[in-house]
Amino acid sequence: MLLTHAPVAELTFSSLPQFFVNGVLNGAIYALIALGYTMVYGVLRLINFAHGEVYMLGAYAALLTSYALGYGPGQSGPGFPSILTLAIMLLVSMSFCALLGVLIERFAYRPMRSQPRIASLITAIGVSLLFQFGGQLVLPVSPPPSISERVNPDFLRTPVEITLKAPDRQMVATATSLKPAYEAAKQAWEEQKKHEANEFDLSPEGKTLRTSFQDAERAYQDAARKADASANKILIPKGKLVMFSTSIFLMIILWWLVTRTSAGRAMRAVSHDFNAASLMGISVDKTITFTFIIGSALAGAAAMMLATFQGTPLTTFYGVQPGVKAFVAAVLGGIGNIPGAVIGGLLMGVAEDLVIGMGYSQYKDAIALVILIGVLLLRPGGILGSSKVEKV
Amino acid sequence: MSLLTLKDATIRFGGLVAVNKVNFEIETGDLFGLIGPNGAGKTTCFNLITGVYTPTSGHILFNGRPIGGTPPNKIAKLGICRTFQNIRLFGALSCLENVMVGAYLRHRTGLWTALSDIPPAIKETRALKEEAMRLLEVVNLEDVANARSADLSYGSQRRLEIARAMATQPKLLLLDEPAAGMNPQEKAELMETVRRIRDDHQKTVLLIEHDMRFVMGLCEKIVVLDHGEEIASGPPDAIRNDPKVIAAYLGEAV
Amino acid sequence: MFWISRLGSILGALLFCFLLDKVTGGLSDFSSRLVVLAGLYVTLSVSLNLINGITGQFSMGHAAFYQVGAYTAGYLSVTYFSKAHLPGFLWIVLMMIVAAIGAALAGLIVGLPSLRLKGDYLAIVTLGFGEIIRIVVQNQPSIGGAYGMNVQPKFPQLFASTGTHGVWLVWLLAILCIAVCRNLLKNVHGLPFLAVREDEIASSAMGVNVTGVKVTAFLIGSAFAGAAGALLAHYEGFLSPTMFTMELSFIVLTMVVLGGTGSITGSTLAAIVLFYLPEKLRDLPPVPVSFLVGAVIGAVGIVVFLKKTIDNYHGSSSQKTVRMILGTATGIVVAAALGFVLKVIPTIGHAAPVEAAKLRMVIFAVTLIFLMLLRPQGVFAHHEFSWSWVKKLLGKKDVPTTAVST
Repeated sequence: MLLTHAPVAELTFSSLPQFFVNGVLNGAIYALIALGYTMVYGVLRLINFAHGEVYMLGAYAALLTSYALGYGPGQSGPGFPSILTLAIMLLVSMSFCALLGVLIERFAYRPMRSQPRIASLITAIGVSLLFQFGGQLVLPVSPPPSISERVNPDFLRTPVEITLKAPDRQMVATATSLKPAYEAAKQAWEEQKKHEANEFDLSPEGKTLRTSFQDAERAYQDAARKADASANKILIPKGKLVMFSTSIFLMIILWWLVTRTSAGRAMRAVSHDFNAASLMGISVDKTITFTFIIGSALAGAAAMMLATFQGTPLTTFYGVQPGVKAFVAAVLGGIGNIPGAVIGGLLMGVAEDLVIGMGYSQYKDAIALVILIGVLLLRPGGILGSSKVEKV
Repeated sequence: MSLLTLKDATIRFGGLVAVNKVNFEIETGDLFGLIGPNGAGKTTCFNLITGVYTPTSGHILFNGRPIGGTPPNKIAKLGICRTFQNIRLFGALSCLENVMVGAYLRHRTGLWTALSDIPPAIKETRALKEEAMRLLEVVNLEDVANARSADLSYGSQRRLEIARAMATQPKLLLLDEPAAGMNPQEKAELMETVRRIRDDHQKTVLLIEHDMRFVMGLCEKIVVLDHGEEIASGPPDAIRNDPKVIAAYLGEAV
Repeated sequence: MFWISRLGSILGALLFCFLLDKVTGGLSDFSSRLVVLAGLYVTLSVSLNLINGITGQFSMGHAAFYQVGAYTAGYLSVTYFSKAHLPGFLWIVLMMIVAAIGAALAGLIVGLPSLRLKGDYLAIVTLGFGEIIRIVVQNQPSIGGAYGMNVQPKFPQLFASTGTHGVWLVWLLAILCIAVCRNLLKNVHGLPFLAVREDEIASSAMGVNVTGVKVTAFLIGSAFAGAAGALLAHYEGFLSPTMFTMELSFIVLTMVVLGGTGSITGSTLAAIVLFYLPEKLRDLPPVPVSFLVGAVIGAVGIVVFLKKTIDNYHGSSSQKTVRMILGTATGIVVAAALGFVLKVIPTIGHAAPVEAAKLRMVIFAVTLIFLMLLRPQGVFAHHEFSWSWVKKLLGKKDVPTTAVST
């Protein structure tokens, strides 16, 4: 797709910034999904296995919305600017996921609250499998559909360039100096072409002019390329920038919700001590519902953005890998800890891109698991977490 | 040589000193009480003795051997066993099975023998089962031997924990608030049981309790802790009248 | 006297296996395959139960041990069988032992570091390890990588000299696994495992080496899974990483949970039922969507009704059972009726019927969810089949219910 990573061959000192930036941009999305895991674990001590599937269904919601708005296969578009489409898709995804999260909590997790945690975990696995395999029966999976490119407005497809190191001046000068000769040769050849019958049967004059044009072109382009390569630039597709800013915006809203509203305070209270919170008059049920709404909505936003701007084809297993990675991100940052999820997500993104840069992209899915096991064995509380001692 | 010695035993948790240079000695055959207001560090002492915590400084000696920091399962093998303040039974197991877990540490047959289900393993299981049954009789629970331990009444569960600890054939038995939640009649029976354990079964007993009548009526030596420090020790009469002890429990006289 | 009865049991088991082998030999390829795979699943299920149900260590990566055993045996057979000049069935027994050791090593690697973790964390780590093993195998060209590896020799060649089909060995392994777990629980040695499940701190205080117990459970459980893997490799004649995904771990987990964590009987029966039923489903014609919708509505109704009855009904035990059965039957009838009626709605009536095979995993998922909602302890809970249990059913009183007391 047009908005994938800028092509960089391998991880060198100079290409490190590009990989790092890619990692941070991707990491913000992981953070959005990780927040869902971490908040639910905070209030329920439950690993919401089905979160990846909520994410997957959010992507499908975005897809189907785009179809409804006229971007389906064979359709010509709605006639209003795609920015509006994007906004509608985002809202639909977020609301749909929020609703789905509430339903799952109400019917699958709430009845499990009095049971040992293993029972909830098994239920979560069941729900996850149900969406993956049941979804196959209902949703379009073969061939895997993807959101039409046309949803991306034109201006989002050009990348932003950030120059870290200006191109070598000598080389630029050389290229610049070659340019007039190239333009002149090109002009001459274009003129000559008009007098020629066809491209294959050139007069001696034509051949000379064509040769000198091609030589000049090659010389100029080589010089220009060298000059370009001597610079160190970071390319950021504008779409990714939009994703990143939206993610940050949503996280700010979340921060406001958690720290400044009573619902957010209730959530923090329930995370600390379930029973004490309910004794203090906090409606635990409502708080948990609130948590699921926020967490699932964030996942929906992430799903819509990735599906639209990255354009990966959708299947019902679309949420498995991101789910795992986001979960690892949450654990890495300290599961239950909201800023931890953000940090974990960013780190996860960077780690993944570094692995790609080092050339081990076939292991990029395994890196998440290695990080997971490493964290759980060395510091189960994660970066920002703490370990609680059991009272004997 | 005393059975158990704590010498300047200390443990810190971060900035909090939970037990601060506590000293006492328990002789074989003692009925020893450890008392103090809530949060004084009594259960923490138990945890130090049984290896749940490692002392930050100081020594804990059992029969002259230092045991500070030894893991709990090895402590049990050395001959110290305990009950818990918050009952920790093996809920899904029967009363008999709970006690048999205690007896397990004296098993002689190996795992392969057990997996093959051959006579030595069968005999040993039967022998340990009979032993467990006899211990249930000591605490008057033989009627409910096959009942699920989680289904028992609170008082019965406490007695079961004692029987289980006894099954390890300890030299020193640590009882953490064994009378908590019991009515007066049960407490009287418990006092009898503990005395019998010391007299007939030759165990040394160290117990934590809040019920003063229980402690004063049962224990022959007492140590009082407050805020992690030892404030008094001696026979019940001395403790009863010690102004520091009274102040610790009731607050300073105005 | 003891040795006579013991010999009798062993001969009985062997006889059962040989008879099964003979009978299976006469069946179609498809049916005999079912018998073999069912036997393997029984071993997997009972061995996982030892780790999860009996010792309480929530291990979710059991497929990894199966895989390690399978690939170990497969690779060794391909490389060394022709040089070894051993009769076929001796070779396969040797392979089973080697595979068991290999899988036990994997079990050690997975189990040891995880010892500090409990509950959810342990589950995630074991799942993670399982996936890592699968990905690593997938990237090893020397054992076939993602394309898979062919395994020679296969069952027919291995067992030709014995005149059997090899089915007996699969089920002998299953019986051995059941026997080992049963013996463990009959003996005082089984108590520390149950104790660790119940309360690690109390176990430790009673002298139980908690770490040792957990490691032992992992070792025995993974060893049996590995041995089963060896048999799988030589039965199928082909191995690929796609045969050992997370789904397989979840399927075996469902069997253990359905049967009742801690119940060997439960795991065995659940493995057979949960394996066999979906296979039988393949024979059905594609299911019209209206019936699926009807089934969904009916199922939801049944679950809600059953849950209300279990939680709130205050009649006698037999009345409760009758009510539940009647409720379920009504639900099924309603679902079927809906199946016919809903055809009227155009979107539903015109939708393409669904192949029954696609419903397999959905059924597993739904089984898990319903089980957890209605009876999380599983069908058998912690009960085992035993003669005293039969006596109890027949009305005799004061019979112990838990394992060792029997």
